[in-house]
Amino acid sequence: MPDIAEIAASVDSLKRNFETHRYICSNQIATAVYLAFHLRKPVLIEGPPGVGKTELAKTTAEMFDLPLIRLQCYEGLDEAKALYEWKYGKQLLYTQVLKETLDEVLQGAKGFRESVSRLHEFGDIFFSEEFLEPRPLLKALREEGGCVLLLDEVDKSDHEFESLLLEILSDFQVSIPEIGTVKATREPPLVFLTSNNTREISDALKRRCLHLYIPFPDIDLEQRIIHARVPEIPPELRKQLVTFIHELRELDLKKVPAISETIDWARTLLLLHADRLDPELVRDTLNVILKFQEDIVNVDSEITTLTSKATKN
Amino acid sequence: MDRVLSNFIRALRNAEVRVSTAETLDAFNAVELVGYRDRAFLKDVLSLVLPKTADEKDTYADCFDNFFAFQELRGAEGKRGDAESGDDEGEAGDGEGEGNEASEATEGRGGGKGKGKSKSKRKAAEEPEEDLGPGDMAEATSALGKLLMAGAKSELAMEMSKAGTAVNVQEIQVFTQKGLYTRRVMEAMGLADLQQEINGLRQHRDVPHRRLGQELTRRREWLREQVRDYVEQQFLLHADATGRRLREELLRKVKLSNIEHRNFRLIQEVVFRMAKKLVALHSRRKKVFKRGALNVQRTLRHNMAYDGSIFDLHWKSVKIDRPKVFAICDVSGSVANYARFMLMFLYSLEEVMPKVRSFAFSSDLAEVTELFERNKLEDAIAKVLRDYSGGSTDYGQAFVDFKKTCLDEVDNRTTIIILGDARNNYGEPRTEILKEMYDRCKRLIWLNPESRSTWNVGDAEMRRYSAYCHQTEECNSLMHLERIVGNLLRTVT
Repeated sequence: MPDIAEIAASVDSLKRNFETHRYICSNQIATAVYLAFHLRKPVLIEGPPGVGKTELAKTTAEMFDLPLIRLQCYEGLDEAKALYEWKYGKQLLYTQVLKETLDEVLQGAKGFRESVSRLHEFGDIFFSEEFLEPRPLLKALREEGGCVLLLDEVDKSDHEFESLLLEILSDFQVSIPEIGTVKATREPPLVFLTSNNTREISDALKRRCLHLYIPFPDIDLEQRIIHARVPEIPPELRKQLVTFIHELRELDLKKVPAISETIDWARTLLLLHADRLDPELVRDTLNVILKFQEDIVNVDSEITTLTSKATKN
Repeated sequence: MDRVLSNFIRALRNAEVRVSTAETLDAFNAVELVGYRDRAFLKDVLSLVLPKTADEKDTYADCFDNFFAFQELRGAEGKRGDAESGDDEGEAGDGEGEGNEASEATEGRGGGKGKGKSKSKRKAAEEPEEDLGPGDMAEATSALGKLLMAGAKSELAMEMSKAGTAVNVQEIQVFTQKGLYTRRVMEAMGLADLQQEINGLRQHRDVPHRRLGQELTRRREWLREQVRDYVEQQFLLHADATGRRLREELLRKVKLSNIEHRNFRLIQEVVFRMAKKLVALHSRRKKVFKRGALNVQRTLRHNMAYDGSIFDLHWKSVKIDRPKVFAICDVSGSVANYARFMLMFLYSLEEVMPKVRSFAFSSDLAEVTELFERNKLEDAIAKVLRDYSGGSTDYGQAFVDFKKTCLDEVDNRTTIIILGDARNNYGEPRTEILKEMYDRCKRLIWLNPESRSTWNVGDAEMRRYSAYCHQTEECNSLMHLERIVGNLLRTVT
């Protein structure tokens, strides 16, 4: 069990620990986790797809050895799926069963008033913890030793869902009308929200979060990332392929290759036992880094120039 | 030090980074946690707390560098002030030599610390310093002179801000006013008296008096720099945004064809903000329309109380039909600029109107939707204007082309917006196609950048076309655009 407080004591130690978990991060990212931990604030992570937004949350969970609770957001996601739901099947079943034993329950009570007061003695069992089906958000709040809560692609959800998040994010509590307010346990969860910016997140939500923007890494950082993720790849080739990817990102593409693509490509090249880039090899493996046919067609003519640029030094 | 942070936040707000009170509190908490020791670290930390979009982060980075660079400069300045005589004497070496080495040494150290760490700088500034060494210097008589000679930094700073308030330095609007305000603040602090005293002293017979005169001159220059810095800071805090807001206000009203190229970036921001407002307004309105499949689980749950008889129905919320908009833009020379802004506006509304298809023509019409999908907004617009704006306007031909390409896709949920001046160069107007479009679509709106009175003058065909429009509008400024698009959203959603 790693000592969470010790890991999070400084940005440097966070960075080091991330690296041992093969997540190479910039100062900015480590600072975000540092602040999130000490200020107990959620982090909203934005950036182009494939720069490691989700990975950051996962790695953090791994590093602190906390359970990761993940909620994938999508259009139409509502509280029943995100927060809690009554086990209505169970409730129905129990009412059916109880119907038959109603007499016993009422113990021969006479009259309406008496019956009702008998029933009251039972309290609201049907709407108690027994029948509550916790969904990810509630689960995260009730996790004893704290946890990492990841709300993935929060921009895909609706405005209503965002509003639902507000209470949780600012006070780490939710109100369930039938039960009352559920507060987080001693250790409130470490919350990460990711967004691909398909739409603007509302100001109210942003205000409650730290905002981390992860851009594409520079060449050095990306090389280190590749080194951490695909350590077997020879340094020369690593440098070449990262340079190549960076050249690609300069082009006018429908979807520019992200870090995840660079990693995939590195693995591919490793599998093919390549030790340096050449145009033929690049052409054959281009579909690993470019995901649209028209991008591939567009780049095809420039492969030779790009490769020679990447292999030049 | 909290003052520094809140001033910084004000500067940020002026630079159009929206910082709420809650975020300000967060910033204070964060700073309390990390302290001011490490500048780069502080920058990282605040960049997580204060700016909340990628754009704002850029602005923030600039703002941070400006603001805190300036603070540093001031620290250095303070140091020079503290160890002033030492430095100046050392470099000039003109044998005035009233050597207060002792104070020079200590102050030098104090100043050095202040430079690295802005926190101690203030402290250094408050420390009383500068005993005048061997006392062969006369006493200053004017109020300002006394303060200067006493080196009473905090009093001077207070005087400075008092003077600043007196001359309304917060009303500074453009940077050319900096000099003016510097002088005014100096005057309000009693420059005239000081000047007189200096003049008097300079011509005095006694050496100590002359010496004092020189000293005062030097200190006056130092003060001037302090005041300049102060004004500069006030400018950063107050002016930038006011000037900008003024310009934006103007831009909203000015005719779009008159907007200069250098303002495009600014206007784009205005457009985005207007669009954002509309988005916020209309995405909320959606709820009313929500009806769809039955949400079985929820319905059952809510009807348990009624013994399973289902009469309180709950629906799965479904996306409502979003408006389909076809924008047909005349991009010939006369109307190109209007087309630019309308396209900008429509595409900024992507969130509530994801299905905008756009067409551009001057003589031949082509669909340009894909250009907008592939490129950044500005690039796409530039490309459209480059590729389609040649050729003389021919509305008839454009309609024929439109009919060929996609009239079939126009249905009763479609809104067609035509932007153009209807100046057809006396060509065949082909109103029958427009009629066909009119019949098929939900709404056909014609936006004409010219003023109504000239709609039918010369080769303009507006009279004939307007018969087949649900709505014709004059549209030549951002305000018009906003109103029209707002109405559009109201009617189509």
